[in-house]
Amino acid sequence: MTISNRLSVKTPDQAVIYNDLVSQHGSPILVLDCDKVTAQYRALSEQLPGVDFFYAIKSLPHPAVIRTLSSLGCGFDIATSGEIELLQTLGTAVRHRVIHTHPIKRDADIRDALRFGCTTFIVDNIWELEKFIAYRHRVGLLIRVSFPNPNTDIDLSKKFGCREEDVMLLVQKAQSLGIHVKGLSFHAGSQCASSANHVHAIKQCTKIMDEIYQQCGKLLSILDIGGGFPVQYTKTVQTIQEFCPPILEALQQLPDHVQVLAEPGRFLSATSMEAVSRVMGKAQRGDMTWYYLDDGVYGSYSGQIFDHVTYPISIFSDIDELETAVIAGPTCDSIDVIDEGLQMPPLSIGDLVVGHQMGAYTYATATNFNLFDKASVVVINENNVSADNIVLFAQTQ
Amino acid sequence: MKTYNETLYDAYSQEFVVDKVYFEQKTDHQHLIIFDNAKFGRVMALDGVIQTTEADEFIYHEMLTHVPMLTHGHVKRVLIIGGGDGGILREVCKHKGIEHITQVEIDQQVIAMCKEYLPKHSAGAYDDPRVSIVIDDGANFVRQHQQTYDLIISDSTDPIGPGDALFTSDFYADCKTCLNEGGILVAQNGVAYMQLDEVTTTAKRLQPYFSEQTFYCAAIPTYIGGVMTFAWASDNKKLLHVSVEQIQQRLQLANINCRYYNAAIHKASFALPQYIINALAEDC
Repeated sequence: MTISNRLSVKTPDQAVIYNDLVSQHGSPILVLDCDKVTAQYRALSEQLPGVDFFYAIKSLPHPAVIRTLSSLGCGFDIATSGEIELLQTLGTAVRHRVIHTHPIKRDADIRDALRFGCTTFIVDNIWELEKFIAYRHRVGLLIRVSFPNPNTDIDLSKKFGCREEDVMLLVQKAQSLGIHVKGLSFHAGSQCASSANHVHAIKQCTKIMDEIYQQCGKLLSILDIGGGFPVQYTKTVQTIQEFCPPILEALQQLPDHVQVLAEPGRFLSATSMEAVSRVMGKAQRGDMTWYYLDDGVYGSYSGQIFDHVTYPISIFSDIDELETAVIAGPTCDSIDVIDEGLQMPPLSIGDLVVGHQMGAYTYATATNFNLFDKASVVVINENNVSADNIVLFAQTQ
Repeated sequence: MKTYNETLYDAYSQEFVVDKVYFEQKTDHQHLIIFDNAKFGRVMALDGVIQTTEADEFIYHEMLTHVPMLTHGHVKRVLIIGGGDGGILREVCKHKGIEHITQVEIDQQVIAMCKEYLPKHSAGAYDDPRVSIVIDDGANFVRQHQQTYDLIISDSTDPIGPGDALFTSDFYADCKTCLNEGGILVAQNGVAYMQLDEVTTTAKRLQPYFSEQTFYCAAIPTYIGGVMTFAWASDNKKLLHVSVEQIQQRLQLANINCRYYNAAIHKASFALPQYIINALAEDC
């Protein structure tokens, strides 16, 4: 029974699978289903044939996700030396299967990435460009262009990216410094309502690339269209089958020699995890029944704060009567509330609450505030991935 | 078929067929692998960059050793920085007139691993009684040196990675204080066509400390992209005027068998391609 677009009440027998996991691993846990990652990767690949994908590790930096995507032929978008270390423990990169996409880097970050075998970097200003003078013979750079992205939950156009009119100057400056610029990059936002931003940015980039070739004789061969592919949480969004065709159509206008890259993060990781928590206490306060879970917004539900997402949740009950309830997290902070004013059947201490679509920006941003342990990750369905078919990470590919 | 691709450059790379992996170490900081390739024998690579191969190492090790040895003519004490594979040590040990060799390697495990998996590189040289092995950072060793040497050979990894301290002004300045009068410092300095900046940067950093600074070259197949340069620094200006005949005579006296090095190659190796001369003229 769906009580609201947020809360579903399922029958107690549907809790069996979660109860088994909790009796085995305790709670709170995040159940990571690698088959979901595979399904999302395949869905996106089907919609955008010819595009090379680089998973944005930051959305869910978990080894099982990396192994799964690696075995499917997906590359990786890294932004920090910490992310490189995570990849390095799993193997060594094959060049061109890893891109470093942080527009602002320390010298040590550049060196770490080069040692890891990554030679593609992103810059969006002169100061950043100049950091590559020492490495100019080894790297190929993408220039990140900023396009305002109003049709999105999360606007990524303010913090990074140069203005369209500055791209030419950067390319010319790079040429004078002997640094190879090989393409352009943009981010149309995160969790985009439509692909209109992508389409606009692709059109503008196509134009800019042509102008650069005409005026500087510089052939740009890569366009990185970033991420932004939406996932259904509690609000209806376009399906990937609705979202991608306009992008594909816009990409047709690019010259044939241009290779297109994308950096999906959320789309690949969001559906892979469910957060399984238990009610660790309850209280009646005024006309509200408060349920305190063993996980909250300082933990797996941190995306409610940082990522502005409301996750669908399920409870398990066969009681018909509804009460007005608050579902809160375990910490002492009053902000640690997952939802309030929910009409739901009463729960008992020890009952389960399951959050869905909780793979992206959840585990990644969880804290251990109050020194509450973070939810541990329980990996399922990783059977199909063995060390032998990890394409990216066997140095011997 | 398994292959290994070098990751040194964005737009160009060499690929090896891997017949067998002998050793592989992955940590969160580095990746080291030793594998067998039909053309080059055992190949060692660190962080995606080829370090040495059994088949072509002789060119590198002979040139980095015998050129300064026979130019100097009476080297008694040698300091090797790095060189954990033992190839330089093997070549240095061929000179009977040498009385003492100190090798400073940052990682004991590198020596142990190379003895086991690349035994032809050291070929028993680590057992030579004239050799003293110090496990220390080479930059630290020359900063706190107790003794002086006639020849310092810097056999390092690339400037991006564990060898970065061995390409600094401070290191070169400290090397100078470790050299006896008329002593020579030579150093691995990368493939100039691919990374011309390495040549100009090193020249700029060495020139303040040494009155005679230049480079010499040799083409080593697996250091792809043309000739590798070796940095040369000394305060003895006469050294570069030693004749082919003198070198030939010294080589005969030393009674050393080489596969790449000879007196004519020695002299010719100091002839630099015009693109290097131009870059040095422009930048230094």
